[in-house]
Amino acid sequence: MNARKSIGEIFGFFFFLGRRTGKARVFALLGLVPVILAIVVRVALHGRSGDMAAVFTEILMVFFLQFYIVILSLFYGTSVVAEEIEGRTLSYLITRPLPKPTIVLGKYAAYALLMFLMVAVSLSLSFFILNSGRLADPSLYLTFLSYLGVLGLGVLTYTAFFTFLGAVLKRAILVGLVFGFGWENVIQYFPGSTQKFSIVHYLKSLLPYRPTGGGGGRLALLLFKLEPTSPAVAVLMLAVIAGVFLALACWVFRTKEYLYEE
Amino acid sequence: MTAVIAATHLSKWYGNVLGLNDVTLEIEAGITGLLGPNGAGKSTFMKLITGQMKPNIGTVTVRGRKVWNNPMIFAGIGFCPEHDVFYEDVTGWEFVTGLLRFYGYSGSDIKERAARALDIVELTKDKDRLIRGYSRGMRQRVKFAQAIAHDPEIIVLDEPLSGLDPLGKRKLIKLIKAFRDEGRTVLVSSHVLPEIEALTSRIVLVHQGKILAQGDIPYIRELIEAHPHMISVRSSDPRALAARFVGDRSIQKMSFAPDGRTLVVETHKRDDFFGRLTGAVLEGGIEVEEISSPDDNLQAVFEYLVGK
Repeated sequence: MNARKSIGEIFGFFFFLGRRTGKARVFALLGLVPVILAIVVRVALHGRSGDMAAVFTEILMVFFLQFYIVILSLFYGTSVVAEEIEGRTLSYLITRPLPKPTIVLGKYAAYALLMFLMVAVSLSLSFFILNSGRLADPSLYLTFLSYLGVLGLGVLTYTAFFTFLGAVLKRAILVGLVFGFGWENVIQYFPGSTQKFSIVHYLKSLLPYRPTGGGGGRLALLLFKLEPTSPAVAVLMLAVIAGVFLALACWVFRTKEYLYEE
Repeated sequence: MTAVIAATHLSKWYGNVLGLNDVTLEIEAGITGLLGPNGAGKSTFMKLITGQMKPNIGTVTVRGRKVWNNPMIFAGIGFCPEHDVFYEDVTGWEFVTGLLRFYGYSGSDIKERAARALDIVELTKDKDRLIRGYSRGMRQRVKFAQAIAHDPEIIVLDEPLSGLDPLGKRKLIKLIKAFRDEGRTVLVSSHVLPEIEALTSRIVLVHQGKILAQGDIPYIRELIEAHPHMISVRSSDPRALAARFVGDRSIQKMSFAPDGRTLVVETHKRDDFFGRLTGAVLEGGIEVEEISSPDDNLQAVFEYLVGK
C-alpha cells in the first residue's frame, strides 16, 4: 500500500471514529455558544443599526480565533499521538503495514477536517444570524469566506503544532495550554516584530479589514496593537509553521519508542 | 527447520529496569509457548518481535528481515495485545473492518475477511454491538479476530486465554492448534502452565528477562519434578496421618502447621504421595478435610529453577 493510500485509510478510520467520540459531542456543543449569543444579540438589536452587528461579529471572531480553534486544536492535535499511548491502542496501529508517518498525517487530516466542520457550522450559523439584516449584501459573503478561511488556516497550523507537542511530550496538554492561552495571548500585543513569534499574529494579518485611523473603528478588538504582516507572507508563514511541525511530528513518531505507563 | 523469528543477544531495559537480558532464541513454525510469571519479560519480547519496541542491544528478525521501522513485514503478522484495550466507540464489526483497511484490501475483501474472522470467534451475532458493551470474553475474542482477520503467517498472542471461561479457552486452544496444522507460526505467552501445556509441547521458560529453559513438555516436567512439593493436608488427626508416612522414603520432611490440624509434607514425588494418602485415609479411617499445595504454581517452580 502506498503512502497516499495509507493516509487515506487512516484518515477514513479516524474521521469515522472521531465523530463517534464524546469529545466531538462536547466540542460541537461548545460551538453552539456563539450561536446562542448571536440569537440573543440579534433579538436585542432588533431594528437597530448594522454597525452594532459588525461589532458583535468581531466579538464572535475573538471567540473563534482566540479560544475555539485553539482549544479544539489543542485537544485534537495533542491526541493524534497521545491518545494512542494513553489508551494503549497504539499496538493496533503500529503492527500494521503502515509507514508510521502516514499514521500521524492521516489522523491529523481526519481531526483537522472534523474540527473545521465544527468551526464552519458554528461560524456560519452565528455569523448569518447576527448579520441577517444584510443577507442581500454580497460583501457579507466575502467577509464570511475570509473569516472561514482564516479559521481554517488557524486549525491547520495550531493542530500541526499541537500534534508535534503530543508526539514529543507526555503532558502535552499542559504545555499546550500555556502556549495557546498564555504565550499566544500575550505576545500578540507586544510591539514590533516580537508579535511575529505567535501564530495568531499571522491569522489576524489575514483578516479582511484594517483598522481605520488611531486603532479604532471596525475590527478594533481583533486588530488591537497589530502590526500586520502582508497577507502573502502571512499565508506562507502559516504554511511553513504547519509543514515544519507536521514533519517534525512524523519524524519523532517514526523514531521514538512509546512505552505504556504500567 | 529454519527459524521464522530469530532473536540474537536481545536486551531491552527501561531506565534502570532490565526487561530482557541477552536473549538468543529461534522460533520455528508451529506453536511455541512463552511461559513465565508476570513481569518475566514475555510481553517485552513480544513487543520487540512485533516492532513496538526497539532493542537496546542485539537484533530481532522475522523471516530474516529486521522488525523495527519495517512496516511491510506486518502484512504477514497478526498481533493480539495483552491489555484489554480498544477503540471503545465502535462495534465489533467496525473495529475489525476498520483495522483491515490498513492492509489495502478492497471493500468486498474487507467485509469477507471480517465476517470470516468474527465467525471463527463466534461473534457474528454480536458484531453490531458496541465493544464497550461486550463481556470480557467477547472482548478477548474480538481482539483475537483482528489478529487473524488478514490471514497472517505469523500470529503473536500475548496472554490470549486470560479472561476466557473454560469453554472459551477450549475453543480458542482448538483454533490456535488449527493454525498450527496449517503450517503457521504461533507464539503464545502465558503465566499459567496448564494453558501452555494444552497448546504446545514446545515451551520457553522466561524469568527475570532471561530464558531459563527451553524444550518440550517432558523436559520442563522433569525440571518441575525435581522441585520438592509442599503439600498441606488438613485432617481431624494429623499426627495419626503423619505416623503412617514416617517410613515413606518419598517424603523428605513433615511438619505441623500452627493450627495443629494441618500436616505439611515436602516430597519430590507428589503423585506417589497422593496415592499413599488415599490408601491411608481408606485404611486408617482418618478424615481429611482439605488438601492444598501452597507452592504448586509456576512462581515456585521458577524460584526453584533460579535457585532461590
